[in-house]
Amino acid sequence: MKNLKTKIFEADNIHTILLRKAVKEQIIITTRTRIARNISGFRFNSISSNKEKKDIANIIKDVFFSAFSGKNYAFYNISRLSETQRRFLLEKHILSPEMVLQLYGKSLILKLNPSCQDKVVSIMINEEDHLRIQSTMPGLSVYKTYSDVLKLEKIFEKKLGFCFNNDFGYLTSCLTNVGTSLRVSIISHLPAVVASGRIDDFVKNLKKINCSIRGFFGENSEVIGNLFQVSNQVSLGKNEKQILDEMHAVCLNIIDAEKDAVRYLKKTRPAVVEDSIFRSYGMLKYAKMLCYGESLELLSMIKLGQILGILVNLKSFNFYQLISLLGESNIIMGVKNKIDLNDKNNKADKIEKIRAEIIRKKIFKDLNNNV
Amino acid sequence: MFCEFCKINEANVHLIKVVNDNIEKLNLCVDCLKNINFFPEEDFFNDLTKILSKIFEVDIKIIDKSENSKLFDFSNGVENKKCSFCGIDLNTIKAIGKVGCANCYREFKDVFIPIIKAIHGSTEHRGRIPLQSSKKIKIENELKDLKYRLKEEITVENFEEAARLRDTIKKLQKKLYLVKKMK
Repeated sequence: MKNLKTKIFEADNIHTILLRKAVKEQIIITTRTRIARNISGFRFNSISSNKEKKDIANIIKDVFFSAFSGKNYAFYNISRLSETQRRFLLEKHILSPEMVLQLYGKSLILKLNPSCQDKVVSIMINEEDHLRIQSTMPGLSVYKTYSDVLKLEKIFEKKLGFCFNNDFGYLTSCLTNVGTSLRVSIISHLPAVVASGRIDDFVKNLKKINCSIRGFFGENSEVIGNLFQVSNQVSLGKNEKQILDEMHAVCLNIIDAEKDAVRYLKKTRPAVVEDSIFRSYGMLKYAKMLCYGESLELLSMIKLGQILGILVNLKSFNFYQLISLLGESNIIMGVKNKIDLNDKNNKADKIEKIRAEIIRKKIFKDLNNNV
Repeated sequence: MFCEFCKINEANVHLIKVVNDNIEKLNLCVDCLKNINFFPEEDFFNDLTKILSKIFEVDIKIIDKSENSKLFDFSNGVENKKCSFCGIDLNTIKAIGKVGCANCYREFKDVFIPIIKAIHGSTEHRGRIPLQSSKKIKIENELKDLKYRLKEEITVENFEEAARLRDTIKKLQKKLYLVKKMK
């Protein structure tokens, strides 16, 4: 019996070590899990009127105040937020792009987590579906994020009836989400896979096993900074556990692929890659203005240089933490000497200037001697 | 004269549409005729496309470039059927790529099944069941199972077991009736 226990413990241990390594090496940057629910008796948001949207928001608000009062949750009307705040939530992936287009009736419930700011549990109201419950955590944590989502769903389930059908499971306004309506999306940073030219095969293989691959900002977005969003395509015909298990396995494979590519690059040291890393180093060191996309591309190469051991004279930095500082709204909200939001030309210039400064401070050790 | 659509081939089909003294002309080649859906709203022209397809011995298909409509490829006649709850018709669903309400899934089930199968590779939900309807669904699933077993037992002429199963089915059906009534 003792033996068995220690064995289980060891297996657990290996698992956690692997996870920690993945976080440390920052291959899987974040895991996001979401489910969609529609309240029965209402039309879906694809065609619902403003009045219906308002009613839905009110119903959910009532449930929120009866069930969540006193806990660390907050309710926001999206239309009452400022544009910068909305942009901030969008950049943090808390709101989807659709949430900031037509604001009527759209609301957000957010779990406030002062101790751990990276973990975000939120509910989008009146997006494509009436309720979209999602949880985001740094690193690989497929199961944890799902359990967060499920906890919230159960609270709502006690008070609301959801659209459900014996054949198709939970009904959603888009046919691609029916069934469990569970979507696990991970954002992975794969500079070595890209630099070693393996990305095409990599994407093909993922598509073969029904995963969809997108850019950093989800649907229709470009790939920037070697960041890939990978998510499950199938939500019907499998139960939640199967989907979670599969996505977890996919993540472990992604980690393996990136590590393998790193080994390959360490061994061969292609001149093109090295050149590109040093060019990025130079650009970041001496550039006075940087736009968001460019800074992500450059930082990604610098990070690769660090992983490969080519660039040693740098501070060790957390790629995801750094890039999350670089969003436009984040810079506007964080600056002491305020940026004049009405002065459009100067605003963009000033933001780019501050962005370049932030990066220099975070990654270069001997800043004063060189700049 | 060149075809108005591909601008490569010689136009050998000339269509003239006259409505209230407005004249519209279309000059097409046979290849484009196959791919273009002209005047889709009018029944008369639907008939015309049929006639044309007979003359040229080609299949004239309605082809729309957006991806959503590729999924929603259904036979003539159902497009205008409306959902009795939300009032959306299949043409609108096709255009926006989204469903109107939960009832649509019931009314357009036959249209949706092949689409859902193409997306998910399955049409059977195996995941979580909502708390409120779980009791009913559990009984229904059990009933399905028992009825299947009953059939099997009868085919192998195991009547003793079949009788036992029949009694359990009756009990469950009563239970189901009560659960439904309670709701």
